[in-house]
Amino acid sequence: MTRRFLTAEDVRRLMQSGGGELVVDASTVVTPQAQEAADAAGVRISSGGKSWSAPTPDRGPDAERAKNTLSHLPEPSGDSDDGRGVIVTVVGKNRSGVLAEITGHLATAGCNIHKVSQEIVEGYFHLILTIELDGSASFDVLKAELECMGGDGDFVARAMHERVFRFMHRV
Amino acid sequence: MAPYTDREIFELVRMVELETLDIRTTTLGINLLDCADPDLESTCEKIYTKVVHHASKLVETADSVAADYGVPIVNKRIAVTPISLVAAASGADNLVPIAKAMDAAAKEVGVDFIAGFTSYVHKGFTRADEALFNSIPEALDVTDHVCSSVSLASTKAGINMDAVRRFTQVVMETANRTADRGGLGACKLVCFSNVVEDNPFVAGAHIGIGEAETVLSVGVSGPGVVRGALARLSPDDDLNAVAETIKRTSFKITRMGELVGRETARRLGTVFGIVDVSLAPTPAIGDSIADILELIGVDVTGAPGTTAALALLTDAVKKGGLMASSSVGGLSGAFIPVSEDQGMIEAVRKGALSLAKLEAMTTVCSVGLDMVAVPGDISEDTLMGIIADEMAIGMVNTKTTACRIIPVPGMGPGDTVEWGGLLGTGIVQDPGKYGCAALMRRGGRIPAPMQGFRN
Repeated sequence: MTRRFLTAEDVRRLMQSGGGELVVDASTVVTPQAQEAADAAGVRISSGGKSWSAPTPDRGPDAERAKNTLSHLPEPSGDSDDGRGVIVTVVGKNRSGVLAEITGHLATAGCNIHKVSQEIVEGYFHLILTIELDGSASFDVLKAELECMGGDGDFVARAMHERVFRFMHRV
Repeated sequence: MAPYTDREIFELVRMVELETLDIRTTTLGINLLDCADPDLESTCEKIYTKVVHHASKLVETADSVAADYGVPIVNKRIAVTPISLVAAASGADNLVPIAKAMDAAAKEVGVDFIAGFTSYVHKGFTRADEALFNSIPEALDVTDHVCSSVSLASTKAGINMDAVRRFTQVVMETANRTADRGGLGACKLVCFSNVVEDNPFVAGAHIGIGEAETVLSVGVSGPGVVRGALARLSPDDDLNAVAETIKRTSFKITRMGELVGRETARRLGTVFGIVDVSLAPTPAIGDSIADILELIGVDVTGAPGTTAALALLTDAVKKGGLMASSSVGGLSGAFIPVSEDQGMIEAVRKGALSLAKLEAMTTVCSVGLDMVAVPGDISEDTLMGIIADEMAIGMVNTKTTACRIIPVPGMGPGDTVEWGGLLGTGIVQDPGKYGCAALMRRGGRIPAPMQGFRN
């Protein structure tokens, strides 16, 4: 294990003569106060031949192991998760062309529709679409676009990852 | 992709949109043992640096997971190693500078709370524990985000009554120092029997010495969801149906919590710790444990039958959670923080929920006397007696119990204090007119019970 931190006190102790360079290990974290003290004393803190910059946080041996040995999610149904499944729900006032409008948008956004379910209850439509994003489409973009689609008093669309439903409803 | 029924799909949408399903907290536990230093100033420097270094992306990451999965994450918090352990090497008598460094780090990374100004004294004090106890009142007064907790008892060790006395003094001093804010400091201070080392909920959050370098844990909530599910039952359904409904709901909430927790941990590059499946109420209407108890069938929370209903609720929540995840931990069950639960505030106002009934309820809930206001002029012995009773319940029943009790300066029984936000509204409870001075004067330790010797 190498030195974990370099403090202002360390800088003062190690650089009593003032000026010059202080070489630290790549994983050492320099405190802001140490940086200040070094700047004030004209000392350059370096690591690996370059000026020191904050390393990636060391999350410890367990995190290392988890990366190699555990899948990050226990998938309930045994399906391989490609993260491309999306469930879209839409509720709004019924009018002609609304389904075409939504599905048309999904087509241009690069979505493949797996299942459509629609019901009209007292003049309101409830629509559920199970879709799959193709390789280039982004969930964030799709979600943002869908949420902007319905106008005032028209309809509300919401997109959620299929994985959420799988976790909640499948063992 | 597995097909889902329309009903399954709308169930989740309803939970999020109408029943305030949320992840109450994602808490990043950060081990600070490597920050120990003979120099207090350097200790503070290292603590600030390590917390900021590890947590700088916490809020951003949690927000991105919340947006992706469509489930709100209400709070982002940090739990650290008990500070008395980290500070011991410095030999300092005043640990307030450490609290200030923690507070500054919390502000820098934008979290709601940083907890772990903590000490374990269930058997005895070290010099560092003494220093920490002495520093608590000022630390909680001058910081905004720091929470403090102490362990006073356990089934294995018994109750350290000298520590109970010292803690009682600290509570009163903390409340008095923050008298202008209704004793707010004491809202950030809690004591435990059988302390839990992976609890993600404040004020008691910290990470114990057996934990990894950094651990991401989540606390799920969902009183609104349970209430919604119970409201759809018929009044003629029996208690098996009630338990079954709560279990199913708890299962679903826990799955959601684990998904969000694991994904957040993965994006941060740390290990996932636990899901704490606790029904944690908020002052928002509908987000109340009291409402659930009343739906199960008591007239008002605090009436006879309340303890039985709460026992059923706590147990069913745990069972659903344990089926859903192998990583259930923390406090898991049902919280009854009086001032944070609209229905419980109402029950106290009606005179239905007394301090004595609350104590009885803590034998079956998942924590203890939580956010209970008592008169500011309560005697030290009486307050100590209330705390000792709660510690005894935990010790004998091999369960975690806690006390977060606030003597509100200048207020008497029936008065109302507003702490604001999640902390809600306290109505001062009457501790009764009889005390226990002679008992408390004895001091010493209540030995561990038979249950503690299972080796």
